[in-house]
Amino acid sequence: MSVNQLIFRNLKKNLKNYYLYVFALIFSVALYFAFVTLQYDPAMNDTKDTMKGAAAIRAASVLLVAIVSIFLLYANNIFIKRRSKEIGLFQLIGMTKSRIFSILTAENFILYFGSLVIGSFIGFSISRLILMILFKISGVDAIASLHFSSQALIQTVVVFCVIYLLIMLMNYVFIKRQSILSLFRVVSSTEGKVKKMSIFEIIIGIIGVVLIISGYYVSTKLLSGNFTTVTGLFGAMIFILGSVIIGTYLFYKGSVSFIFNLIRKKKDGYLTINQVLSLSSIMFRMKSNALLLTIITTVSALAIGLLSLSYISYYSAEKMAENQVAGDFSFVKPEEAAKFNQVLEANNISFNEKQIDVIQVDANLKEILGNLNGLMVDPKAMTMPVISDKAVKNIDVAEGETIFTGYNDLLQKFMSLKDSGPIGLKGQNETIPLHYLGLKKDSVVSGYFTNGGQPTAIVDETVFELLKKDVNPAIQKESSIFIGITLKDEVNIEKANDLFKEMFGSEDRFNSSRLEISNGQKQIMGLIMFIVGFLGLTFLITSGCILYFKQMGEGEEEKPSYTILRKLGFTQGDLLKGIQAKQIFNFGIPLVVGLLHSYFAVQSGWFLFGTEVWTPMIIVMVIYTGLYSVFGILSVLYYKKVIKEAL
Amino acid sequence: MKILEANKIHKSYGNKFNKQEVLKGIDINVEKGEFVSIMGASGSGKTTLLNVLSSIDKVSGGTIKIEGKEMTAMKERQLAEFRKHHLGFIFQDYNLLDTLTVKENILLPLSISKISKRAANEMFNGVAAELGILDIKDKYPNEISGGQKQRTSAARAFIHEPSIIFADEPTGALDSKSASDLLNKLSEMNQNRKATIVMVTHDTTAASFSGRVIFIKDGQIYTQLNRGEQSRQTFFKDIMKTQGVLGGVPNER
Ligand SMILES: Nc1ncnc2c1ncn2[C@@H]1O[C@H](COP(=O)(O)OP(=O)(O)OP(=O)(O)O)[C@@H](O)[C@H]1O
Ligand SMILES: [Mg+2]
Repeated sequence: MSVNQLIFRNLKKNLKNYYLYVFALIFSVALYFAFVTLQYDPAMNDTKDTMKGAAAIRAASVLLVAIVSIFLLYANNIFIKRRSKEIGLFQLIGMTKSRIFSILTAENFILYFGSLVIGSFIGFSISRLILMILFKISGVDAIASLHFSSQALIQTVVVFCVIYLLIMLMNYVFIKRQSILSLFRVVSSTEGKVKKMSIFEIIIGIIGVVLIISGYYVSTKLLSGNFTTVTGLFGAMIFILGSVIIGTYLFYKGSVSFIFNLIRKKKDGYLTINQVLSLSSIMFRMKSNALLLTIITTVSALAIGLLSLSYISYYSAEKMAENQVAGDFSFVKPEEAAKFNQVLEANNISFNEKQIDVIQVDANLKEILGNLNGLMVDPKAMTMPVISDKAVKNIDVAEGETIFTGYNDLLQKFMSLKDSGPIGLKGQNETIPLHYLGLKKDSVVSGYFTNGGQPTAIVDETVFELLKKDVNPAIQKESSIFIGITLKDEVNIEKANDLFKEMFGSEDRFNSSRLEISNGQKQIMGLIMFIVGFLGLTFLITSGCILYFKQMGEGEEEKPSYTILRKLGFTQGDLLKGIQAKQIFNFGIPLVVGLLHSYFAVQSGWFLFGTEVWTPMIIVMVIYTGLYSVFGILSVLYYKKVIKEAL
Repeated sequence: MKILEANKIHKSYGNKFNKQEVLKGIDINVEKGEFVSIMGASGSGKTTLLNVLSSIDKVSGGTIKIEGKEMTAMKERQLAEFRKHHLGFIFQDYNLLDTLTVKENILLPLSISKISKRAANEMFNGVAAELGILDIKDKYPNEISGGQKQRTSAARAFIHEPSIIFADEPTGALDSKSASDLLNKLSEMNQNRKATIVMVTHDTTAASFSGRVIFIKDGQIYTQLNRGEQSRQTFFKDIMKTQGVLGGVPNER
């Protein structure tokens, strides 16, 4: 038989084994090519410019290459190991190692480049869909059309050729180390023994848990002002990452096997069928599992965390715009507001106009500030906007009292206010003592006055008049009148916004449109969310695939055990129940730990990204869990097939 | 009382175009409490016969009744249930689970019964001591010898005191001392507890422990020998003679 025939035969025989590998390949190529096509798409140019997203896209594509190559190398590793017997057999019949290598190379070449072609084609076809999604979520009004970019193709081909060479190198090393003996090597020896449970393991387990908890603890303190220098902050972040990841590894290695050992020891040999299939099988491979589980956990945590944060920003875009604008449109110059009013009237758009006098006053907040958390301001003289209670509906404060409004989560993190207490408002000559009564959420004046997010003090009309007469001119803004315009009918908002843009450009320091700010925010966040979502999805699918591949391998390895158990009279249903328990562990544990990690990551810094944490975080977590479970279900189905074939 | 009744069982492997008929109409009856050996050349279909008798494999034709119940008509679940409770197996290739220790392997059949842990432990200690594997109870199968695996496999077959034990070459990997220990144990189970035993063997000595030997050739029963009131030595010689006629390679110890 000539070598060519041998290659062809092998290929045909192995295609069944390989179909998942091929799937993984096609998937990676398609994903990468689609992404790179986007990068070179002319339609992206506007998007890129306006949002300075070019760097983000480039960084993302580098990250994508890294994920894809690790994934492919890992998949290749699994599949070449499955063939070690075959390779041993070739050696036994006298083939040289270099000959075997060339056969494998040729075989892989066909598979690999076949997949490359198919993958590019698929990638190209879905790139338009992806572009459409991008435009949709970032609210860009452009038509997604199909542009074939030879540059993108070249880049894809080059990247995958390099990965191919890496894979070949790996195969070469593998074959080099392979000996004929591997043919006769029976099942690999057990990795975790019952009797070898030691104090050492307990200590490792405890250290793992302690590391994770301390990482979590530091993360809650991260942005609350305990770390004031950049190096301190950076050091804390490195510490959190390191301690959580290492802790996770030690947790899997120590605690999990410790707990399992404990259960098994307690059972004293008397295991139920469920435990035989889950407990003992997992312990059997604990060593290699610990590392894999750590990787999957970290990757999941990363993906969930990033997805949550970007979704939080996206989700909060409208909220933030409300804080900034207070009304649909806000002005600080009466003449410009008047012009806009005329235009609105000319277009038959009815509206309400509200004018509020706003002055800036230095406030002594020392008594009600909880902690300043390293913010570089003087609590005895913080400049803040003050308005009269006449300007706001439903709020009436007594003469000696004040209420703050325009609550902002981010600011709250840095300067938390007590529930009540005495404050002082300083005029030019006089200081008026007031009793602070609490904080309200709504913002009543635009960001121009609040410096982006400070609360506004509401005082009684008489107090306001006093302060107004005694203002400190040094701290006053150019304008001290806020004009908010709210449409009577929200349906007209788009039209009004267009008129606004025509007159004043998209935004300046004085005039702002809520829709415009919200849109701008959405555009930036949309692109970021798109990129993060893309990467997160890749993380999810690759880690799911890797777990699935691993389970496929384990299933094949354990097939003889299923045969034995079925011979002894255990039904397929009995076995399947055990397998389900095992898969709940294999897929569930990294997911749960990953969710926990990302929960703490999100909690530590979400307020930098938006105003609303629970809804977006929970949505992301639920979706992630759902998609991830698909792989667990697939693997159970695979086991079901193996069990069925076992007898 | 007949515990096992097989009529005209046929078994063939392969597909329509490439069929190999391994069993060609075998009738076997086993009385309750009997100890039967099956002998025959390598590849004559002994393992196949044992597999179909014990419901692990399906027959291509014929009927098998165990305790009057027709196995060939039963559903897969019922069969499994039946095996679990009433049958014990010692397999030619041991069939131990690599992921379990010796003790866990042996206790496996008890996991479905509602026996207390204490009782299970006592049963284990008894059977393991008799087979001399008590001191390896915490080892994994890949850490013990072939003979030890075989004894582990035997212990697993005995532990739940099944009504029929099917043994395929149970002494194949044992030295003569351990072999006769195991065979004595089998005989003991057979006599004291009236356990029915069906054993496949190449070993004439092993066969001489049983009460009846069935010879298989070309997928059919060639002949049968009854021990009757003979001593083991005379029975041994009888078996040797028949084996000589049969043409298989006699395996003497
Ligand atoms: N699963 C199978 N598929 C196809 N043919 C089989 C299968 N199992 C056994 N055979 C064939 O059936 C015949 C009988 O096999 P069996 O294992 O029953 O022999 P045996 O008498 O137990 O031999 P030994 O003494 O070597 O164990 C052999 O020719 C074998 O090739
Ligand atoms: Mg056999």
